[in-house]
Amino acid sequence: MMLRGVILCLLIALCLLVALAAGEQWINPFDAGGQDAVILWDLRLPRLLIAFAVGGLLALAGAWFQVLLGNPLAEPYVLGVAGSASVGAVTGLMFVPESAWVMSVGAFIGAWIGITVVMIFARLGPGRMLLAGVVLAAFWAALLALLLALLPEQGLYRAFSWMMGDLSHSDIPVPFLLAAWGVAVLCGMMLSRSLDLLLLGERHAEALGVEVKQLRQRLLLLASVVTAIAVTAAGTIGFVGLVVPHLMRMLFGSLHKAVLPASAIGGGLLLMLADTAARTVIAPSELPVGVLTAIIGVPVFLFLLVRRT
Amino acid sequence: MNPLMQISQLSLQRGSKQILNDVSFAIRPGEITVILGTNGAGKSSLLLALAGLIPAGGTLLLHDTPVNSFSRVELASQIAWQGELPPTEFGLTVHQRLQLADQHGDIESAAERMDIVPLLNRVLGELSSGERQRVELAALILRDAPIWLLDEPTTHLDLKHQTRCLNMMKEQAANGRAIVTVLHDLQQAAAIARQVALLDGSGGAEIGTADEMLTIEKLSQLFDTPLIKQGKVWAPDYGEVNYESTR
Repeated sequence: MMLRGVILCLLIALCLLVALAAGEQWINPFDAGGQDAVILWDLRLPRLLIAFAVGGLLALAGAWFQVLLGNPLAEPYVLGVAGSASVGAVTGLMFVPESAWVMSVGAFIGAWIGITVVMIFARLGPGRMLLAGVVLAAFWAALLALLLALLPEQGLYRAFSWMMGDLSHSDIPVPFLLAAWGVAVLCGMMLSRSLDLLLLGERHAEALGVEVKQLRQRLLLLASVVTAIAVTAAGTIGFVGLVVPHLMRMLFGSLHKAVLPASAIGGGLLLMLADTAARTVIAPSELPVGVLTAIIGVPVFLFLLVRRT
Repeated sequence: MNPLMQISQLSLQRGSKQILNDVSFAIRPGEITVILGTNGAGKSSLLLALAGLIPAGGTLLLHDTPVNSFSRVELASQIAWQGELPPTEFGLTVHQRLQLADQHGDIESAAERMDIVPLLNRVLGELSSGERQRVELAALILRDAPIWLLDEPTTHLDLKHQTRCLNMMKEQAANGRAIVTVLHDLQQAAAIARQVALLDGSGGAEIGTADEMLTIEKLSQLFDTPLIKQGKVWAPDYGEVNYESTR
């Protein structure tokens, strides 16, 4: 465990350096001056930090949703939350086309509504709940298609770039995002023992002293706020929340004392690397990072599904 | 001896159906109470109600204090419940499962008692139902609660481990633990019970000492099945298969 922790720390440092250096032009972070320094510290670093915080938040939310629903294949995006957030964002864009801020608020409200609706169906039990999530995702997609059809042409580009995940800027300030990451990790650690007990099922957890109803409410609130912040900051980026906690469980075991911080860091690294690839592969143009995470995430999801059965 | 738990006029509902009505008995330290009954008679539900895990009517006193006035943590320190096997989706290992029962307990010795030391590093999902049941029993041993509530603890177990499980329960009772357990096997019930509760499925429960309850009249009537004497106790008459007639 200790060795794996050291390896993870070295990996973070390496990823940070590579992500800083790579781009349309390769810049040595230890020897950058003039315009290179501006590119490095004013453009790339904030973007990296956004990617790190958003990736970590998404992975944490994924880990929480999985315990909340008793299903390791649950994730806000699989449950239709990306769809509801997009509907919220595009609705905002429709009414106040010139304001990025209104779009973000719309996304936040949309994400919140999506999660609340999913949780209403959570009472049906994990299996049916996932099914409800799939149907809800289809509903939000239909609603989104309707809104996009009605959206004026100049709004379409912005809507699409947001829907595919956009880390180039964030309407939420970077220090706030990093603070949210830290607070989320801390909250998760405080709940880690109760979360572990919940892995045994609600009855066992209650019998072992967990106030399950209260814990579920807290978790839901945490997962919703964290998802909403991530979606508001960077648009819809799927599958980080699914894949990362899974990988971390494989590496560090199932107990949350290890899984949560590892997911927060691992999710950050994955999104940082994905974003570096997205802005490097076809430079000077950029690939949407949400598209990349989905291209990686969908096969991994299917692999996990097959492996589980 | 003073009862640890006093149950008076307990009633339980499942949906619109009244499954238990006016059930009263006491749970005392050092005594094993066996619950016998037909399918759906409310045996598991009775255990859940005693554990404070589902709501019930009537009065349930733990140390002379109503059960619902205890917090979850306080109840967990007094009552250990073993029920359905926990889910295996999240890849917990046997060792981690035992750690969740008690972080500071002697996992090695509990594992030894239930013969699962070689399984400690295996993932729960890879184990058979019998092995998982033994893991649950080891988890129970780690709990230092004065009351144990066990729902069919010998289910899935082979003969060796059924015996080990019953012996372990007898030892625990001898050390002062109060045990309430649901069983289906009449011989096992007769081997360990001090007190027996018979649930007939109509909501009523007849409770008395093992000698009073484990009689051919009561048991054959309860299970609506003819019984024959087998050793010290009554068992169903399965008859014999006549393979000759199939040739």
